[in-house]
Amino acid sequence: MPVYYLEIIVVALGLVVLMVDAFVKLEDKRSLAWIGILGLAVVFALLFKVEWPASTEGAFWRFYSSGDSLALFFKGIAVLTTLIVLVMAIDYSPIILKQIANPEPGAHPQAGLGECFALPLFACAGLMWMASANNLVSIFVSLETVTIAFYIMVAYLRRNVGSLEAGVKYLILGALSTGFLVYGFAWLFGITGSMQLSEIATALANPELNPTVALFAFALILVGLAFKIGATPFHLWIPDVYQGAPTPITAFLSVGSKAAGFIITLRLLAPFLGSPALFEKVVLILTVLAVLTLLVGNLAALPQKNFKRLLAYSSIAHAGFLVMALACSPHETGGEITLSPDTVIAFYLGAYLLMTLLAFLVMTTLRTTIPGEERDSYRGLAKRSPFLAFALLISMASLAGVPLTAGFFGKFFVFALAVESQQWTLLVFGLIGAAAGFYYYLKIAVSMYLSDPPQDSDAAPISITPLTRITLLALIVLILLAGVHPGVILGLIG
Amino acid sequence: MTFLFYLFSALALFGGIGVVVNRNPVSSAISMILSFLGLAALFIQLDAFLVGILQILVYAGAIMVLFLFIIMLLDVREEQRRRRSIVHFIGASGVAIAFVALVITVLSRGDIGKANFTALTESKGPGTSDVHQIGELLFSTYWFPVQIVAVLLLVATVGVVVLSKKELK
Repeated sequence: MPVYYLEIIVVALGLVVLMVDAFVKLEDKRSLAWIGILGLAVVFALLFKVEWPASTEGAFWRFYSSGDSLALFFKGIAVLTTLIVLVMAIDYSPIILKQIANPEPGAHPQAGLGECFALPLFACAGLMWMASANNLVSIFVSLETVTIAFYIMVAYLRRNVGSLEAGVKYLILGALSTGFLVYGFAWLFGITGSMQLSEIATALANPELNPTVALFAFALILVGLAFKIGATPFHLWIPDVYQGAPTPITAFLSVGSKAAGFIITLRLLAPFLGSPALFEKVVLILTVLAVLTLLVGNLAALPQKNFKRLLAYSSIAHAGFLVMALACSPHETGGEITLSPDTVIAFYLGAYLLMTLLAFLVMTTLRTTIPGEERDSYRGLAKRSPFLAFALLISMASLAGVPLTAGFFGKFFVFALAVESQQWTLLVFGLIGAAAGFYYYLKIAVSMYLSDPPQDSDAAPISITPLTRITLLALIVLILLAGVHPGVILGLIG
Repeated sequence: MTFLFYLFSALALFGGIGVVVNRNPVSSAISMILSFLGLAALFIQLDAFLVGILQILVYAGAIMVLFLFIIMLLDVREEQRRRRSIVHFIGASGVAIAFVALVITVLSRGDIGKANFTALTESKGPGTSDVHQIGELLFSTYWFPVQIVAVLLLVATVGVVVLSKKELK
């Protein structure tokens, strides 16, 4: 099946959900999410059946890369993330219903819920287009499709002040960063005369190029990209937006949006890294960015008491490790390098998807029984629900990078890459960050297993729906499997 | 032509500064229209007639009128009463000046590019309008991004309905 059918199927799924919501009388609107979940499962299976066309003639292939296994891997990340976000949204729907506007008299009591299952599907199609974009125009329009869907989803809980504040912050800062990105694109187009990434690479490799202008374009583009991936000093929006947004959307932002941001970053930085005149300066800038992000993300996470905010800083910290891998890009004329930054970043994001979504899935399941998202409300969880506590333990261990989990190999590959490219400064800061990570992730595990539950809480067991239970189990198994045999994920990158 | 270029650039710039400096939101909006007019004139000087006219019709016309309506429905005095802290003012103007200095430095480092761009109207020979050519490009070479924009607009429409309705049905 031709690769571009995948996005068409996902958009069609979104339309089906919208139409069924509008025209079919449903008892329970949560069944709309099932359409999305089943459809996305089919799309995920189809990813393994993709055929690349023999000829790439025609206007379409100027905007869509062909024969690209990395793009397929990132499409897989997008589909899987959206699928799990829909699973979370089913569990989270009572809270969504409480905080959106009231239904009209006589309307369905779940009015307004259907759109919240359709929007992630459209965002997913955008994320998949981003993975294949090879032209400044298609990068920009797919990125904006995703971003606009996120503006809406973040502010979805209209009667919740936190969600609205998060939405406004994300909208204003997002628009500003888009402005920088487009200004950078304009300069890049001005100096290279092309919007095609392959042609831009050729133009930038030209020794007669004026490096000052190219670096200026690079800096502007990097500001926009750093905002999307949450790298310091453009990370300021992350804690507030992650805390205010509905939890499933926070998970979507922190995995889907970040992964797509990184594939775009890889694509856009490749021409700059391939230019001999620019290589060293670009690597220096990336190194500074990585050091700052590692320090701020990991150190600011230490005192956090709110679990969602902690995960926000954790996502900044992980962005730090990913930028670190990017800064270890090999020089073209350099020695033999066995690991490529592309593979390392793809693997890291695959592992990050599993462990972050596991943590958020536990959080959404608990949200209906435990009112707050403070760290202290998870005290003594192991006594109340050993299964959820175990799931969260695995997720925290993997985020920290404990051996035998997927997260360990993610960090291991990044450090191996730093050693190979002899980036010793980065290695030191990376190790400091990883050590700090052990403290704040495992503190949660300790309070779940070793503290007593809060006095006023009831000890009734927490009910988990079968779908959530299966998803949790699948994620736990995958994390442990990839922790023993990283080839499970590496094999998919191709 | 150079004189006109400087004239309209100055118009666009002063309009832009006016948006930021004015205390009254209505004056800010009017300054923005002024800035858009300057920009439109610059586009027309570059032979991009359609873009120039769209700038006036869509931005200065439709969008800014919408802005003005919204501003008039809101409480304007609130914004005027708000004190502006001197620290913010110095910080913000510092960033702006630094950015302008950066652009000037980049521009002064000699030749900024090798790319030669031909105007749309020249590339296909005389007698064809740029409206015709942009339309043709959008629906031939650029059909794929246009399709993505269609999804974007759908998402935005759904979002407006979900976020702004008083009672959902």
